[in-house]
Amino acid sequence: MTEHHTPVTLSSVSENDPRLQPLAKNPQDVERRIAVLFVAGMVLEACFGWAYWINAQPWILGFTFGMGLTFLGIGLIAWGKYLMPQGPFVEERHVLANSAADRDAFTAAIVDRGGGVIKRRKLLAGLLGGGLGVFSITALFPLIRSLGPLPGTTLQHTDWKKGTFAVDVTGRRVHVDDLTVGSIVTIFPEGKEETDNGQAVDQTVLIRISNSNFTTQKGRETWGPSGYVAYSKLCTHLGCPVGLYEQKLQLLVCPCHQSMFDVTNGAIPNFGPAPRPLPQLPIYVDAKGFIRAQSDFHEAVGPGFWERS
Amino acid sequence: MKISPRHITRTLTLAGVIGISTVSFFALGAGAKDAPYATSRANAGTPNSSVVVRDANGTITSYGNSAITYNLPPSSLEAFGEALFMQSCASCHGSEANGHPTDGSTEQYPSLQGVGPAAIDFWIESGRMPAVQPGNVQAIRKAPRLTHTQALAIAAWVNSKWPGLTLIPSVNTKGANLSDGAALFALNCAACHTIEGAGDALASGTYAPSLRHIPANQIAEAIRTGPGNMPRFTGNLSDAQVRDIVAFVGTSIQHPQNPGGFGLGGLGPVGEGFVALSLGVGLLALAGFWVGDRL
Repeated sequence: MTEHHTPVTLSSVSENDPRLQPLAKNPQDVERRIAVLFVAGMVLEACFGWAYWINAQPWILGFTFGMGLTFLGIGLIAWGKYLMPQGPFVEERHVLANSAADRDAFTAAIVDRGGGVIKRRKLLAGLLGGGLGVFSITALFPLIRSLGPLPGTTLQHTDWKKGTFAVDVTGRRVHVDDLTVGSIVTIFPEGKEETDNGQAVDQTVLIRISNSNFTTQKGRETWGPSGYVAYSKLCTHLGCPVGLYEQKLQLLVCPCHQSMFDVTNGAIPNFGPAPRPLPQLPIYVDAKGFIRAQSDFHEAVGPGFWERS
Repeated sequence: MKISPRHITRTLTLAGVIGISTVSFFALGAGAKDAPYATSRANAGTPNSSVVVRDANGTITSYGNSAITYNLPPSSLEAFGEALFMQSCASCHGSEANGHPTDGSTEQYPSLQGVGPAAIDFWIESGRMPAVQPGNVQAIRKAPRLTHTQALAIAAWVNSKWPGLTLIPSVNTKGANLSDGAALFALNCAACHTIEGAGDALASGTYAPSLRHIPANQIAEAIRTGPGNMPRFTGNLSDAQVRDIVAFVGTSIQHPQNPGGFGLGGLGPVGEGFVALSLGVGLLALAGFWVGDRL
């Protein structure tokens, strides 16, 4: 460690004061070393530019850029520490506050004379206040407007309608012979698989759990033709895609918070934070064997919202 | 207005053009619609949709296409397979392979009748069977106890008595489309096995195993037969698509590039965040202390 000097002002230091000398015993040698560091930094940064130009691998970019800056930085610190005058020096700044007399005179000018001049224009002051008041009220309007239009009943519906064909992600219609027992496929309403709604609320998982008609709940006797059952893919908790199907346990698992839905029993949640079963899509097999929707979901899909009945 | 032969010619030409273009418009539309709705993929992985080879008795010995060929295990192994089955499998699955143990206990194990050679081969060659603890919620993968030939022999004998599908797949990854494989993997596999193929926990003590060291043919067997809790993929994946997935797993999943330097097991943000916090911030803190100490 260096010995500590008492801070002095620079102007009061004589020319051969030890505080003006660099810390280095041999400044020429140190300068050479620092020069080497700077040259290394310069070369590495040039390499970075070259690597960037030829689109090199990320680790080369990072290495040349980072090491280049590191060498420049070490050189800069060494320069400051070993070659600059040691100091420490202080420089007192002048007092910032105005004199008491100046302050009194200013107060007198504003309060005693200027105040009277402003008070003379009561009409203008009132109108200015009114204008600012109206402006501040209208300033609230964008806030109210930007909350957007009311959702209306859009949250209650999806694109599934009576007779809609079920297609897979490539737009290919799903046929009753496609899946064997224990298979799952994500289906979309035909023509909607690329739309925003199709990619969100319309997503439905189609699972074949049996070779014969399957009833998951009382009142859903026609909803599971040839053992096919279709459930909304949106978790009723926070809307994650419930795509993890365990065919032996007959569970659909949500990857986000591990809610588990009983596929054979109307997708009732038997574990996790999901508050409601996954809505089931009523489907039928048409004369040519394609899977089609009987209707839309009978309830809103996805997580809860205020107006949800 | 006087009607001249020229008027009639023009009118007939116009009507003809409109008529032909209307018909061809609908014809083209119909042609465009037919292709994607064809159901040729029904029961993909079975002889229904591929070239079939039969032996002298009419038994199907092989089917498939350039992507995957499905083969019957050689019938010469059947006698050997029966002996192996009685020795290694029958204590749980029963001498009739119906899931009733030979010791007469009331335990019910999976019946192997008609499950097909691919399923039997998968369970044995992945080391899951014979199981360490029969009746566990999920059999663990371990070094196989039986050789490839022994697995084929058991599959051959069971299938000769209770035949079923799928036959044993042999994947030809030549010409596979890796980008299609990646998309299909993300769509069908990543939900459980994770996008890095590292595997993850599932419900009730089950888990999706890691895909890091699975041979190509076992991946195809698992996709087509749906072992354990894994769904079966049949009509929703063609043989060419299964080939693409197998090729993608064999390259990007099993030999990841890791442009950042270290893959950290592909375990996701928890593992990566732990390393970033403990190592990265720790090193920064040490550097900070060191700098502060020197000044």
